Amino acid sequence: MAKLDLLQGTLDLLILKTLALGPQHGWGISQRIQQISENVLRVNQGSLYPALQRLDTAGWIESEWGASENNRQAKFYKLTKKGERQLRDETAQWERMTLAVQKILETEA
Amino acid sequence: MWKRLNSLIRHDDLDRRLNAEVRFHIEMETEKNIRLGMSPDDARLKALRSFGPMEKHKEETRDARGVGWIETLVADLRYGGRALLKHPGYAVLAVLTLGLGIGANTAIFSVINGVLLKPLPYEHGERLVVVQQSAPLSGRRSTGVAIAEYFDYRERAKDAFDGLVEYHQMNFDLINRGEPDRVNTGVVSANFFDLLGIEPVIGRTFVAADDVKGAEAVLVLSHTYWQTKFGGDPNIVGQVFEMNDRPHRVIGVLPNVPHYPQENDVYMPVLACPFRAAAEGNIARNRRAFAALNVFGRLKPGVSAEQAASTVGSICHNFTNDRTFAQVYRPEQSGFQGTVVEVRDALTSGARDMLLILLGITGMILLIACANVANLTLARMLGRDRELAMRTALGAGRSRLVRQLLTESGLLAVCGGIVGVVFAYGTIGMLTRFVGRFTSRTGEIEIDLIVLIFTLGVSIVTGILFGTLPALGSRVDLVSALKQGGGQTGESRGRKRMQGALIVAQVAVSVVLLVGAGLLLASFYRLQRVETGYRSTGVLAAQVYGNFSKYPDVDSLRRLYLPMIDRLQSQPGVVSVAVTNAVPLAGGAPGTTRFDIEGRVTDDPERRPTSDTRIASSKYFETIGIPLVSGRVFNDLDTDISNPVIVINKSMAKYWDGTDPVGSKISTDRGEHWFTVVGVVGDVRQFGLAQETVAQLYVPLTQTPQGFAGQVLVRTTGDPASFSNTLRNTVHLVDSTLPVEQVQTLDDLRSEALAAPRLTATLLAIFAALALLVTLAGIGGVIATSVTQRTKEFGLRMALGAGRDSVLAMVIRQGLSLVVIGLAVGVAGALVAGRVLNAYLYQTAPRDPIIFAGVAALFILCGIIACLIPARRATTVDPLIALRAE
Repeated sequence: MAKLDLLQGTLDLLILKTLALGPQHGWGISQRIQQISENVLRVNQGSLYPALQRLDTAGWIESEWGASENNRQAKFYKLTKKGERQLRDETAQWERMTLAVQKILETEA
Repeated sequence: MWKRLNSLIRHDDLDRRLNAEVRFHIEMETEKNIRLGMSPDDARLKALRSFGPMEKHKEETRDARGVGWIETLVADLRYGGRALLKHPGYAVLAVLTLGLGIGANTAIFSVINGVLLKPLPYEHGERLVVVQQSAPLSGRRSTGVAIAEYFDYRERAKDAFDGLVEYHQMNFDLINRGEPDRVNTGVVSANFFDLLGIEPVIGRTFVAADDVKGAEAVLVLSHTYWQTKFGGDPNIVGQVFEMNDRPHRVIGVLPNVPHYPQENDVYMPVLACPFRAAAEGNIARNRRAFAALNVFGRLKPGVSAEQAASTVGSICHNFTNDRTFAQVYRPEQSGFQGTVVEVRDALTSGARDMLLILLGITGMILLIACANVANLTLARMLGRDRELAMRTALGAGRSRLVRQLLTESGLLAVCGGIVGVVFAYGTIGMLTRFVGRFTSRTGEIEIDLIVLIFTLGVSIVTGILFGTLPALGSRVDLVSALKQGGGQTGESRGRKRMQGALIVAQVAVSVVLLVGAGLLLASFYRLQRVETGYRSTGVLAAQVYGNFSKYPDVDSLRRLYLPMIDRLQSQPGVVSVAVTNAVPLAGGAPGTTRFDIEGRVTDDPERRPTSDTRIASSKYFETIGIPLVSGRVFNDLDTDISNPVIVINKSMAKYWDGTDPVGSKISTDRGEHWFTVVGVVGDVRQFGLAQETVAQLYVPLTQTPQGFAGQVLVRTTGDPASFSNTLRNTVHLVDSTLPVEQVQTLDDLRSEALAAPRLTATLLAIFAALALLVTLAGIGGVIATSVTQRTKEFGLRMALGAGRDSVLAMVIRQGLSLVVIGLAVGVAGALVAGRVLNAYLYQTAPRDPIIFAGVAALFILCGIIACLIPARRATTVDPLIALRAE
């Protein structure tokens, strides 16, 4: 499967959406993205972490160390109120954009 | 915001946690892969591959923490510091070289700041101007301002000035507990301190009531005098001291500010100066009585210096063209004029050129230092290629690399700056004394905050300057750099060209400095060999001034000096004694007394020849050793009632057009009185070693009609300096209240006269030598690294049959070619820049070919030696080892 290069902003959006489903740690987020997109989007896993830090610094997610499913210490992230708002805004923007692209592609040549 | 700060403080903690987080991720991914059926090793490898470049991601995560530049800077500084500590030799050498360059600039800048840049420490200092009068057509650049003229300006220029005050300096005796203390006394208008905005620290300064006839004589003390002579006694106000045979009461003490226009110990109001008071009574008869005033004032707000100048100019024009003063000024012939000059300019213009030259020189030294450190860094880069390649391969961004290199350079430069400040502290005393010969405004020279900021700025710019060069060359070709044995990549060729260019630049700058030093040294040497016209060795001189009130006229002065001469003559070890009014080489400017030769009266009085007048006791010429050319010198038969005689020097004898002047008569007052020339003596350099001799005439002490200052000269058999105590005691036997000052041997005086050119030449020679050394070290370093790099090549050549000599020659040729190019550029630069030194050269042409040839030869010789040492290493290469070595 081709690995599509994700733009930074897109990755942010995906992370926020993934976390909307519930708190998760970094590895878990990468697995979720892979699963839900049916392996179309294979994120270069390491690039999640700078993105997570960015979102943390911006205040859209917050982090906490806790025990993972196999009782190991892991850093969990969860969406903040600001993050929820940001997710709503960005989703709307994304939808607007894809609609526009779609319209252009559908136009008879 | 808090998150960012938090991240900065808990840096290490966060790093550890990030590592833990990433570790967790890899473990989970590995386990997933194992579940999918891979072997543990494969599972882990795949997990790592899926993760991607770990360091890069971690770095980006750290960057994303958002502290941005501070954290990066700290990290870079730490990294740079560690890198430098690994190569302490390089670091120390670089810091010292930079310290020298930066320090020299800091020192010069603090002098420039204190002399030229700082505003005057007086209220509204920028509005202070001084009134200057001159008579350019008569050759007099400064004629001083006379009392009557000052009154005119004060009366008529009211709309240009807030106030116009007068100042002159006298030396009086202040009797402090019975001891006479010769004090520099500023005699000033009552509103002098108000004009300057100087408030006393205790007591008060003058008011108008202090400066009227019959007022009590009052004194204001300077801060320094109060501290040194009275220990800062808080009860000094009200104490009374005897001066000029009158009681003077201290009314106040000045704060510790620099004095304008001269430093003085005490100040008194105008009418308290007996000389000035007497002259003021004379102004009706003598328009230019007491033309020794400094007149300055403060411009009214809104009035420019130019406007004030034109006001003063027209007032001057009016009184010089006034019929009543026709004989006094003769404006068409003399060009008498008045103008106004800003005080700051007047104080500092003498030093401006010299300081700018020095700044240029230290700037050049700094450039040489930078070039050297850049070369050092470039040489070190050659060893870091592999390190840089690996870091690039591991994901370090190029900009990050460049930033780190610049930070390292910056660190070096700032350390250099600190060394430089220490260096500046050490040299500023010497520099201040040096510049004191060109201006009196040296009291404000210090290393203050502005100077430190300047140093910091220079350090940073320096760091950027020499840091960018190597950083630019840090474009790394990964493949060839990582390959063993590097070899001549296009990279290092570029770097080599840069090194070569730097060497050429260093050589060029050093050549310019060396030529300058050579010229100044040659000039100093010639100055030193100037014949003074007298024999200075073995003569002691001292100033013994008669107090004006005790010795108000010539007769009383003669009654003082003639017995003094006899007493001194009778002391053991004394060959002869004389009294004159000024010793040669003690500075000053020639007087211009016009005279007529009997039988050759000129119609136009302004076209009469002029001569400088000296007063000489009978044994003057033999005491000081001036040779007699014809006729005789003064003797005991020349008394106050015998025929008025004079002795002239050879320069004055020229006016007799070849005939023997002995026996003829001259007059200085258009025929009222005549003096017979009885002898012609040799010329002396009265006013400076570089000054041409002027026509001089000598009047016997016993016959001089005017008052004068007494300079006593004693020729001793032994060391004249050891006679000073006897001199003092003998003088005090005649009059115990006479201070004996400025006691020095004539040899010392001559050294003094040579001091400024000696210092200038020495300073420049030191700078030039430093530049030469640094440049040679740079050449040596570059050649050495080149040799190291070409080891294989040399091995090959020698294996193919080339002798050691030819290899040696190759290396030397490489180094010399750089030197020769640098020489060419430097010589061209020196030819152009030499003109700057014109004012300081004595009988030396700025394009003196001998100096140029000498410098070129010196450089080539030194260049060969500098190349020789690393070159010899090239010849010790064992061809087999070299070819095998990787």
